[in-house]
Amino acid sequence: MPAAARSGLSPRRIQSSVATLNAVLSAILLVGVPDLARSDWTLGTDTQLRHDNNVGNAGDYDDIVGDTIFDARLSIFQLFPLGENYSLSVGGDLSGESYDRLKGLNNASLGGALAVKRKWGLGAYAPWVRIGLSIARSDYNDDYRNATVYRTTLSAGQRLDERWNVWAEYAYERRAASGQPELVPGISGDAYSQVNQKLSGNAEYALDERTFLVFGFLLRYGDVVSTAEPSLGIFSVSRAIAADPAFGPDEYAYKLPGTTFGFSVGINYSPTSHNLLGIGFQRLDTHADGGNSYTKSIPEISWNYRF
Amino acid sequence: MELPLLVKVLAAATGIAMLIGARTAAGAVIYASVKDQHGKPVADTVVSVTPLDPKNALRTKPPAVVIDQVDKQFVAYVTPIYVGSRVRFPNNDNVRHQVYSFSPAKRFDLPLYAGTDAPPVLFDKPGVVVLGCNIHDWMIGYIYVSETPFFTKTGSAGTASLEDMPSGDYLVKIWHPRMDGTEVATTRSATVGAVTPVNLEWQITLKPSFRIPRVSGAASPGYP
Repeated sequence: MPAAARSGLSPRRIQSSVATLNAVLSAILLVGVPDLARSDWTLGTDTQLRHDNNVGNAGDYDDIVGDTIFDARLSIFQLFPLGENYSLSVGGDLSGESYDRLKGLNNASLGGALAVKRKWGLGAYAPWVRIGLSIARSDYNDDYRNATVYRTTLSAGQRLDERWNVWAEYAYERRAASGQPELVPGISGDAYSQVNQKLSGNAEYALDERTFLVFGFLLRYGDVVSTAEPSLGIFSVSRAIAADPAFGPDEYAYKLPGTTFGFSVGINYSPTSHNLLGIGFQRLDTHADGGNSYTKSIPEISWNYRF
Repeated sequence: MELPLLVKVLAAATGIAMLIGARTAAGAVIYASVKDQHGKPVADTVVSVTPLDPKNALRTKPPAVVIDQVDKQFVAYVTPIYVGSRVRFPNNDNVRHQVYSFSPAKRFDLPLYAGTDAPPVLFDKPGVVVLGCNIHDWMIGYIYVSETPFFTKTGSAGTASLEDMPSGDYLVKIWHPRMDGTEVATTRSATVGAVTPVNLEWQITLKPSFRIPRVSGAASPGYP
């Protein structure tokens, strides 16, 4: 474990982040809760505890750093019907991630989202398509990772019968981070800005009234950021390089094009109509330029609540 | 002037007969008990009683019925009604609902609305009507439109009773949304007498329930 990763951030910065988070959360609750009493606002919370065995997407064993991450999300949205078959949802969410070891990666995000959904017919079994736009600002303890994330999605799905529900999504995501100084002349220092395209497919199967199996696959193409100590193999194909002190003083973030294949499996249990508990596992396998490949496995437990 | 003894006896006998007749005409009770394949009581089972004598099928005016929407659920989950009834669907949530049914017994769609002023819906055909909300997929409810005026549904103890049943012969059957098998297969004959209650018991097999989850995982498309 690199020394800087263990050192984390200053207490003052932690206090600042927590204060910001509290202020935004309070503002959302103050504005949102009174509206809940008289309109179509819907509030939800999602929390998750996961272990990522390769947070930095490193290829070499010596560079691999695993960590346990707790994240929480508070989301709120309002639904506006647009005619018989269309609906518009407008909402926002406040989320935060807390890393057990890599304190510099702790972050809070505030985002807004807009989506238009079309259903072909009435009811739960009608096929649907949704186009969504979202923008979020992520504030990290290590400021150099701060970024604005723009995301466009096109998703479609259908509940096939009382047991099977399937859906797929295409997403285009641009992450605009603060530019970093060039470490190597002629090579950009903007390693934390990324553009990705992602295609995912998912299926949910009801075992009984309360228990659901979920399966998913993922195909992602675009920029990947791998944090490692300097090496020629990764240096020669990198589009951008920046220091990554969150992982250690001699660690660098390399941005390079790559393709990720992944799958996920999980089981969810709904003890009450408002709650969903889940256990899942995700495996990602990335092949980047120059023969740079890495894998990561992420077991997770989650709790979702809808008011 | 004193009445002859015979007249007194006849008068007394007539009075007693009238009292007994009154009890016979409207005093008997049918008790129903429904359990599942594990011996557990089954709530929300509709018990319908059809008189074999058409004279006993009293044609009363169907009462107004209300099916509420509270916490994004239909209340009640199962509602038996008499054919010809009008049902109101007040919305006591702070979100709008769009109540619909595709069931052959009644197809209807109440466009998205809030509040309690949605127009009542007439159910003029017997059968089972499955209710849904086009916004909240997990909302589901059932209306059992009965062709007989004698019906009830079981409570949490799996029991129900029909009181003041006219004397006569009846066919009694039950229905539950998850019941395996047909309603007709549950039919029992019952003779309702003067005062002795009729006790009927059923053990049914319930199919697994696959109600649509209200909460989706973070990766799920969920609601909306």
